[in-house]
Amino acid sequence: MKTLKIGENTFELADSIINDLKASENLGLLKCIQCGMCTSVCPAASHTDYDPRVIVKRVLDEDDSLISDDIIWNCFYCYSCHSVCPVNNSVCEINQILRQKSIEKVDGIRKIASFLAYGDSFLELGIGSIPNDFFNELIKDIGEEYFELKIHLDDIREELGLGTIILPENDLNDIKKILKKTGFTDRLTKIRRVKKDEEDTR
Amino acid sequence: MNNNHFSRYAPKSSIDIGVFLCRCGGNISDTVDIERLKSSIDAKVVKDFENLCSLKCQKNIRDIILEEDLDRAVIAACSPITHEKTFRNHVAPLNPYLLEMANLREQCSWVHSDSDKATDKAISLTNAAVERVKYARPLDTIVRKTKKSAAVIGGGISGITAALSLAKQGVKVDLIEKKPSVGGNMIKIGKVFSPEKLAEECALCLFNPLINEAVQHDNINIITNAEVKSSERKAGNFNLLVEKKPRQVWVDRCTACGNCAEVCPIDVPNEWNENLMMRKAIYKPFPQSVPDTYTIDEEHCIKCGNCEKVCNMNAINFSMKTEVIPLNVGSVVIATGHKGFDLKKRPEYGYTRYDDVISQMELARIMGVNGPTNGKLQRPSNGEIPRRLVMIQCAGSRDEKPEGKRYCSKVCCMVALKHANFIKHYYPETEIIICYTDMRTPGMYENYFRYGQSNKIKLIRGRPGDVTRKNGNLIVRVEDTLRGEQLEIETDMIILSEAMEASDGTLEVAKLLNVGLTEDLFVKEKHSKIKPVNTDIEGIFVCGTAQGPKDITDSVSQANAAASKVSELMNGGLEIEPLIAEIDHSECKLCGACIDSCKYKAVYMYDERISVDPIACNGCGICVAKCKNNAIEIMGQTDSQIYAMISGMLKDKKDGERRILVFLDYIGYVAADNIGVNRIPYPESVRIIRITSINRLMPKHIIHAFENGADGIFLGEYPDNVVYSNIQEKVHEFKTQLIKNGIDPDRLMYYKVYAPYFRGLAKKFYEFDKQVSKSLDKLEAVLYKASSKDI
Repeated sequence: MKTLKIGENTFELADSIINDLKASENLGLLKCIQCGMCTSVCPAASHTDYDPRVIVKRVLDEDDSLISDDIIWNCFYCYSCHSVCPVNNSVCEINQILRQKSIEKVDGIRKIASFLAYGDSFLELGIGSIPNDFFNELIKDIGEEYFELKIHLDDIREELGLGTIILPENDLNDIKKILKKTGFTDRLTKIRRVKKDEEDTR
Repeated sequence: MNNNHFSRYAPKSSIDIGVFLCRCGGNISDTVDIERLKSSIDAKVVKDFENLCSLKCQKNIRDIILEEDLDRAVIAACSPITHEKTFRNHVAPLNPYLLEMANLREQCSWVHSDSDKATDKAISLTNAAVERVKYARPLDTIVRKTKKSAAVIGGGISGITAALSLAKQGVKVDLIEKKPSVGGNMIKIGKVFSPEKLAEECALCLFNPLINEAVQHDNINIITNAEVKSSERKAGNFNLLVEKKPRQVWVDRCTACGNCAEVCPIDVPNEWNENLMMRKAIYKPFPQSVPDTYTIDEEHCIKCGNCEKVCNMNAINFSMKTEVIPLNVGSVVIATGHKGFDLKKRPEYGYTRYDDVISQMELARIMGVNGPTNGKLQRPSNGEIPRRLVMIQCAGSRDEKPEGKRYCSKVCCMVALKHANFIKHYYPETEIIICYTDMRTPGMYENYFRYGQSNKIKLIRGRPGDVTRKNGNLIVRVEDTLRGEQLEIETDMIILSEAMEASDGTLEVAKLLNVGLTEDLFVKEKHSKIKPVNTDIEGIFVCGTAQGPKDITDSVSQANAAASKVSELMNGGLEIEPLIAEIDHSECKLCGACIDSCKYKAVYMYDERISVDPIACNGCGICVAKCKNNAIEIMGQTDSQIYAMISGMLKDKKDGERRILVFLDYIGYVAADNIGVNRIPYPESVRIIRITSINRLMPKHIIHAFENGADGIFLGEYPDNVVYSNIQEKVHEFKTQLIKNGIDPDRLMYYKVYAPYFRGLAKKFYEFDKQVSKSLDKLEAVLYKASSKDI
């Protein structure tokens, strides 16, 4: 049996989420009545042990172990919970904030290592694009149209009166400066190191 | 009330004032030097007594007033809150409002121990009363007689109950109902729950006798098919115009035989049966309709004349016109009720998409023996008895999403249990599952909840996310939150427990009568605790679900309460203290600024004249400051009286003495008295002036006080919701004016006063005294520097 000791009943974790830059204004976290409406429509919940209602319960119970719990990585941001919640809470947003905590405090960084290529695309091209690593997967998912699109992208753009997708050198340099200043580049370096370590140990 | 213009009440050159000092058996005289006090007062008669409130003294005071032919009286004794009423009687034959009191006990001798300083203060308190009483004018108590008649709007259980209660108390009632029949929602629901008998009782059997009683009562005039179209207030009464739509059927000829409906070729959805079946364009809403007569639905009738041909009574007349009925009544009761939440606004639950998803009210009609299935439980899609039925609670309630209702609709848990128990009784084979967030069955209703459990109603704690269809079954997706398990419930039928929301009629009537609404669009009561059936307009009351979600029990209680409040106004008339706003019609330019500014909706325009409802007005004075033409005065708190009080309090101020004027509202004054009763000391600089509200004060009063030697001004008032924002504005305005006049704004402060926290007020007096002293030191330093520069 757990004893709830005097002074233990705090809302520090909840407060840190509410005050996070990523949280919507008036996030209804404290108003959760555990009705379970979020879980009832959650696709992740129907395939895994993930339960958005329980995530909120654990946040309100000041359960810090949540940050290192693999369960928070099961949400895939479909926002169903967000759209049905009767008190305007959003487990989806809460998860994003919890993951950031995990990245900062524990080994959450390993969880995002596989997305490294997305970040690299910003560094190299100055735009977000789907990494080449996923090319074959996407053709499998979407079909030959994807292949056609990729091959003839320049022609299609020209036909639509759009310029080349490659940014001018000056613009690209500006973007690189911004990414450097905002810490994006450093973060990618860190992720790259973690990814390399993992591959090495493997 | 005296109609003379108030400016004529300037003091005449010689007013003979008598000052009566009370020693209060030592309570005052032990601290205050009565002899010095007596010699410092400038009045025709100054006399001291041991116990002024005694009956013996009553005679003494009266004798002196008569012998010396006094015009005014000042009583320097205890707090006016304790004994003002007593002394008003003592000064007869003087008009009771020609008396002024100085509070020498609670606000002087009981809070100060230094006899010299206390005596100084007693002198200024008494002087202030003497100055003020010179400007007093005789006033008469206002006796308001209200016309002994009322309009009740809405003919549901609340309206009928209120009308009957009023009628039995001798009040003439016009009951106005929008629909062709009275009965409202209660007559539709079929059954009501009885937590005592653990059974469902027949709603119609309970309600019908009341309706018949109302129909037969000489004091009640029921006007159906009618709506209020306009309303005007006049001298505490209301002029309403009611528009009665033509029935095209003579009520006194129609025998309700129904031949007409049989030949009518037009089918119209039957709204009384929640559109689950059809009716004709000539129809009687339901078999027990009151009045028991057919009505032609003008919107759908094609005037083919078939009905006219078969009517043996010649009751049909297509040339009937809309009738406008003027009503003049003393009071209005709003009993316009609620409607069910539009479930299409919760599309995820499949309402209208699936035939077998229905509302609780639709289920009530299906279960009603006078309903579309004659009381048989059937699936709307195929007429079969459902094997399983799932109820989804909070459909539209406790929902902050757009279109949802934030509040709990209060009755749905009991409604769901009622239907579940009732169905279990007649269809034991049908499974019933209620998906709930919280079961709310307060008080004795818990018995009925347990009764439902024993009837094997299954409860799942979770709020369903959506409803779909799979393999011919409806599927409710929900998390069983007690098990932490996602669940898909197969079912034949789904009942959504729809939220209650204000009816269209409620919104229309509120707008017409200028009655305030809550954020959730119900009629707002004046105070949820102590004035639950008053609206923000004096003389208009509210009951039933027009005021908020509630069940029949509460609606009936509230209807009776509203009736008794109406009756209070009408039986015998109300005596009101005349300390209210008075309009000087010769100065008034009818700009209407006072009407807009009044938080109590006491001011209104009638017949090109501004009027003040004496019951609604509390003399707060917001309007006085808003009136550009100086055409409003608050009786008993005229400008001259306020100036006189301020000057009197500051008279004979000694060098180096500090005087702080403290303006307190009633609550503040009571708190200050309590400081005295508990003998908690505070600085002698404090001089308390009672006002109805800080809102009565204007910058000119504040500046006048500083110019006449006030060192600081302390404003204390209970932060009442209604006028608090005005207080904040006022304080800001005062501070701005002080800065403009080169006065340190720190020398004025506002403090929120609460009656039980008098210690806090005493503490604030100390703090403010220090704050003022500091500000004055600073000022002195600046002046000293300036003067030394001059040298």
